[in-house]
Amino acid sequence: MAARAPRLGLALLVALALASLPYWSGDLYRLHLVSLIGAYWVLVAGLNLVVGFTGQLSIGHVGLLAVGAYGFAILAGTLGLPPLLALPLCGVLGGAAGLLLGLPSLRLPGFYFAMATMAFALIVTELSLAWGGLTGGGTGLSVPGFPAPFDTPSGQYWLILAVAAAVTALTWNVARLMWGRALVAVRDSEVAAASVGVNVFRVKLTVFVFSGVTAGLGGALFAALQTYITPDTFVFDIGLFFFVCIIIGGRGTILGPLIGTAALTALPELVAPLARLGTFFYGLALLVVVLLVPEGIGRLVAVLVARVSGEPHRSHEVRPDLARLRQALAPPDGTAADAAPAAPAPLAAQALR
Amino acid sequence: MLAVIVSGLAIGAVYAATALAYNVMYSTSKVLSVTTGHLCMLGGVFGAWFIAGLGLPAGLGLLGAVLVGAAFGGITEVVGVRRVLARSDEHLWLLSTLALATMLQQAVGLWWGTEPKPFPRLIPQDFSAGLLDQKYWLPILTVLAMTAGLEAFYRLTLWGKLFQATSEDAFAARARGIPTDRVRSASYLLAGALGGLAGFAAGQLTFAFFALGLTLTLNGFIALAVGGLGSNLGALVGGAGLGLLSAFATYWFGGEYQQTIAVGLLMLVLLVRPEGLLGARRVRPV
Repeated sequence: MAARAPRLGLALLVALALASLPYWSGDLYRLHLVSLIGAYWVLVAGLNLVVGFTGQLSIGHVGLLAVGAYGFAILAGTLGLPPLLALPLCGVLGGAAGLLLGLPSLRLPGFYFAMATMAFALIVTELSLAWGGLTGGGTGLSVPGFPAPFDTPSGQYWLILAVAAAVTALTWNVARLMWGRALVAVRDSEVAAASVGVNVFRVKLTVFVFSGVTAGLGGALFAALQTYITPDTFVFDIGLFFFVCIIIGGRGTILGPLIGTAALTALPELVAPLARLGTFFYGLALLVVVLLVPEGIGRLVAVLVARVSGEPHRSHEVRPDLARLRQALAPPDGTAADAAPAAPAPLAAQALR
Repeated sequence: MLAVIVSGLAIGAVYAATALAYNVMYSTSKVLSVTTGHLCMLGGVFGAWFIAGLGLPAGLGLLGAVLVGAAFGGITEVVGVRRVLARSDEHLWLLSTLALATMLQQAVGLWWGTEPKPFPRLIPQDFSAGLLDQKYWLPILTVLAMTAGLEAFYRLTLWGKLFQATSEDAFAARARGIPTDRVRSASYLLAGALGGLAGFAAGQLTFAFFALGLTLTLNGFIALAVGGLGSNLGALVGGAGLGLLSAFATYWFGGEYQQTIAVGLLMLVLLVRPEGLLGARRVRPV
């Protein structure tokens, strides 16, 4: 209980800092950057359940992001629906697209699945070019912003923050409870998971559709933030970027990918040479992490914290309670054990060792 | 109509060559490398650079392109596969080869430029040859020769038999004294050389383009999965089928739906025959 109080305090402090960010961030560009991280995080949080917890390596989630973004631009812009209604509709749209992609591809083994999701991203780009009447083709579409309380940069930021917090809470609940255990079981061994009663395909599909919903929401927020989208906005590299964020942050945690998303979005913006290298930097980061710390930076930090805080490495030596075992193994009438207490006891102890 | 068939077969030959390179690497390491298509891209880009940029004769350009491909194949093995296989975590190789492929593509894009550049003529021929132009028959002949050469190598030479032994059961092969690690390295060098050769031969068709690798990685994989993983003949059939299908799709529906139709073919084949047309049926471990 004593350890919880500072943690709760820290969480409150972070929440307060995030909520009041528009007042102390300084310039609008930094606020935009944090909003972008938030929009990405809405997608990455859902994708994290797929990649980090279920172990399905989807590298083409940018396709679902594009579906959400175009959905928002068309629903709120061309059809003129209220943007706050279009936002949840984009979630539905992304979920439907996720179902469409997941139904055939989630039955495939690892590399096949990765290729299918990559193909999906390319197909979405292709279709967004081909259906010029709907998507504006290569020239793209302009995206309407959100109405009154959310029409300023800070208002938009608070909207994104609210959606991101809600999605984070949802994924945290999933990861923490029975669902999360089922997902991790599927990741570690599908056969073992199936043998203890996890419906492997249904679990995968449910989580994938959920990630589609968050991708649709993230896409809508992303589009509103960008104000103008073309097929070039959704290059395959962005899909790779989401994937790298999760792998770098660490699989099977929520904080790790959050840090990964924030760091990988902010670093190229703040350090000029990295921006020029762009995707090369993501590839290098992925390679270094895979080769050196496959568990991700998050795991590395946890190990370092444990070492610095000086918590000794506890070993779990199993010591059988020999006296009780001996008593249990003794004949029920008690005569044999009493009659020859010296001879059989060490024997029994040796046998138990 | 004939033009559609010829161009479809030509681009199909490139897919088939990529599928062959997949097969060579898969057989010894059971790894499907994301860098496979990039090997062909290297052949095209470096072939164009050696001949048009440095002014080398075509023969030296070919040699250089093959060497660059083989070198990157070797790098893939040393950096992306060897350490990861030793750790035996499932699918880590997918991440490491994906990272290598991304880095290579971006590096080539930064150095070579992101525009497709023309590939020089290899054999003096008039541009009015139409369907008999070298850009069509060169890749087709190359991939046929590659398949025949690979089969001859596997069946007739001792090294080929080592490859086959490693591919069938690496542990048993090692128990019989075969240096399986060296065989694996050699297979990656071979795959790189084949990819470089194919990319060089198809350069006039595909142009020297940095983003070609990703497309070929995907389409070569589709050809491989359709034809059957591990089968060289299946790679040829799958590549030709996929090339013809995309050519006819372009002819009838326009170029916008190529990828959609290619993936549709993949899904259809995987639903009906999960092991591919000519692949061996795999027993699922339980």
